[in-house]
Amino acid sequence: MPEITGFSFPNDIHVTWSLMIVMYPYITGFVAGSFIVTSLYHLFDRQEFKPVARLAMATSFAFLLVASLPLQLHLGQPQRGPFVIITPNFTSAMAGFGILYSFYMLVLVLELWFVWRQEIIDRARRSRGMKRAFYAALALGTYDTSPEAIEIDHKAIKILAGIGLPAACMLHGYVGFIFGAIKANPWWSTPLMPVIFLLSAAVSGIALLILLYQVYAKLDRRPVVSTCVSALASWLWFFLILTITLEELELIVMAYEKSESWLIISELLTTRLSFSYVTMQMIIGGLIPLILLAVVVLMNRYLHEKVRNTLATVAAFLTLIQVFSMRWNIVIGGQLLSKSLRGLRSPYEPEMFGREGVLMAIALFVAPFVILWVFDRVLGIEEPEGSGGHGNPPAAPAEASAASHVP
Amino acid sequence: MEHGKHVFRIVILVAVILVVVILGRGLLIPKTYGLYGRYRAANVAEQMNARPVLHAGAAACAECHSELAAKRTAGGHRNVSCEICHAPLGAHVLADGSVVKPPIDRSFTLCARCHRKMAARPARFPQVDLDQHVNGPVEGKVCLQCHDPHSPKP
Amino acid sequence: MSDCHDGCNGSRREFLSGTLKLAGGAVVTVIGASALASSSSGPTSAPIPGGGEYDWNEHLWAYLVDTTKCIGCGSCARACKAENAVPDGFFRTWIERYAVGTDDSHVDSPNGGMDGFPPVQVGFVANKSFFVPKICNHCRATPCTQVCPVGASYRTKDGAVLVDADSCIGCGYCVQACPYGSRFIHPATHTASKCTWCYHRITKGLKPACVTVCPTQARQFGDLKKDGDPVRAVVEHDRVQILQGHLLTEPQCYYTHLDKEVR
Repeated sequence: MPEITGFSFPNDIHVTWSLMIVMYPYITGFVAGSFIVTSLYHLFDRQEFKPVARLAMATSFAFLLVASLPLQLHLGQPQRGPFVIITPNFTSAMAGFGILYSFYMLVLVLELWFVWRQEIIDRARRSRGMKRAFYAALALGTYDTSPEAIEIDHKAIKILAGIGLPAACMLHGYVGFIFGAIKANPWWSTPLMPVIFLLSAAVSGIALLILLYQVYAKLDRRPVVSTCVSALASWLWFFLILTITLEELELIVMAYEKSESWLIISELLTTRLSFSYVTMQMIIGGLIPLILLAVVVLMNRYLHEKVRNTLATVAAFLTLIQVFSMRWNIVIGGQLLSKSLRGLRSPYEPEMFGREGVLMAIALFVAPFVILWVFDRVLGIEEPEGSGGHGNPPAAPAEASAASHVP
Repeated sequence: MEHGKHVFRIVILVAVILVVVILGRGLLIPKTYGLYGRYRAANVAEQMNARPVLHAGAAACAECHSELAAKRTAGGHRNVSCEICHAPLGAHVLADGSVVKPPIDRSFTLCARCHRKMAARPARFPQVDLDQHVNGPVEGKVCLQCHDPHSPKP
Repeated sequence: MSDCHDGCNGSRREFLSGTLKLAGGAVVTVIGASALASSSSGPTSAPIPGGGEYDWNEHLWAYLVDTTKCIGCGSCARACKAENAVPDGFFRTWIERYAVGTDDSHVDSPNGGMDGFPPVQVGFVANKSFFVPKICNHCRATPCTQVCPVGASYRTKDGAVLVDADSCIGCGYCVQACPYGSRFIHPATHTASKCTWCYHRITKGLKPACVTVCPTQARQFGDLKKDGDPVRAVVEHDRVQILQGHLLTEPQCYYTHLDKEVR
């Protein structure tokens, strides 16, 4: 039995939303965040993101495949999960999520298909037997790689990216809405919530890509392009500043208004969440990377490549912790305080094994990387070296896209 | 659009998937769902018959125990339901009509729940300061030795 | 859509779901539509499918608590537990004890008040002390059914907020959305559970178990559609209060003599 300080409503002492509901916005955040990065290239033509554009899109896809699993695992009756689609109650944010999730999945898969279509066709041509049948099926049986067809692909990618970016933002803004629209809980109920979730999704997506890019470049024996790293770092800095500012503003407003819930929330933050909020979310995950990234961005010219990479990597790793702490503090913190606004329960400790345990959470976090690895095996994340490395102007796609933007 | 064949194919594929999903969904919607709102209307009747009625109320007890019931109605415990001390009627007269002896709570705890002196209780409600009752402390003693629960006097 | 609670378009809904099932909603012919529309006699003969005699259009239930009458005996909570097989450690109803001083206040509810209340010492001068029974407020604008993703929780036409345990997916969203802490996830069924106002009793002309056993009439239950109903008289003519009115959930559980400390 949890211990209670003050008075909690007797049903309010249970943490109904477990670690899985912490993982759910964490994983969904990577989906939206990495899609933002890929859009910076595909939609806004920021050429410095070219080296990570495909990686980002594949990452978004890998995390999207896993994103609904923590929700499923959390359900008391998982086999009834499909009812969210079969009999959706549209006044529920969660039912809306089911629809948005499916829609975004559709858009992303389509965009992936158009981006990787050439690769699929190449592999279909190169292989035989079952393998060939597989790639042929993936290519839907048409092997058209004429410049005209490629041009059509590029238009489709543009359009899909144009739909995908708002869809990804909606998807994650919506996760924030699930919490922000609960008027019963003063720690959740703020219109800032969707915005904070969205911004921190961008933070986590960019941070993850900084890390993934370093690892992927090592594994693939490609040079790390320094303009790409510094571009990622400066965007990470930008989004981190916004995120932390909003997170603090929310508190400052609450404190200054002396809202009825401030008394209990200040107690929550300084006792139950003092480690996960003050230490992890604000100092280790917030302040330190802010300083590191400031160094990377402001002193960019003077930094040796290795130093820049290391600083950016460390900062990225710390911001990943920041974002996880933020999810934890929102989801779990909101359940430690009773709606009586008079009581706090003792800290929640997730189980180790079992459906909603720590090991499952780790498995969920690792799964997307396994999917990425498989993706790399089946389709290849980057274009093959032969078709032009990063130094040379690559083959058809980039040329075509470059051509289409030269008036 | 000579070179748009692949676009055409994927659009068809998406359309087919959508149709399958929509049709499949239609088959899986529960029968009475949406009759009155976004819920399964049949559940209302299920809730009506969800469980047997356990607490039947004093009037039901009086059907057999008219004498005691009359005594209770005349006394200070006229508003105290029989089932508080005698357990719910459902535990006395079973669903198949058979009668079993109900557990009767004669404990000090039961009396103290209502009558232990407590600041939160309405002042006009009869309360006992258990430390200074008649001849000294009575905590844990059997109240029924002196008081008749069916027609209690102070 | 939301104000169509009283079956005003029952037949249309039936028709719609019928066509969706048959044809994906798009290709049904006009002939088919009219045939379906005429064949559905509508739910006029039996107001609740399989519900027998009870007509839920004739009632609108409401709950009334007079906090000055509550003696904190906990009979209500015990009766509720027995009547509804409420699992240990979870509560469909409970009683809170308040001790209020000038600068400080103390609230407790040991085991939901089920075993009565032991004497308590507070570290300040309590000017007043009182009990407050709590149950689900069966809100008219209920935040809990609003957030249910699958329509497993709903408000009946006679005003009870219920959970369909056979449809509930156990996501716990409604538990988070209820400002009163009235809901919980049942440890055995893993679905949401809550006070039903003893729907199996009130549809048979009985009162909820908690009201039936309350020795002081602190808890009362009535029908806002019935002439001369005592609860209706109080709700319509006296000054009544509700819990957390600022959240605009329109509770149908009314209070008289509520203190500012009660939330």
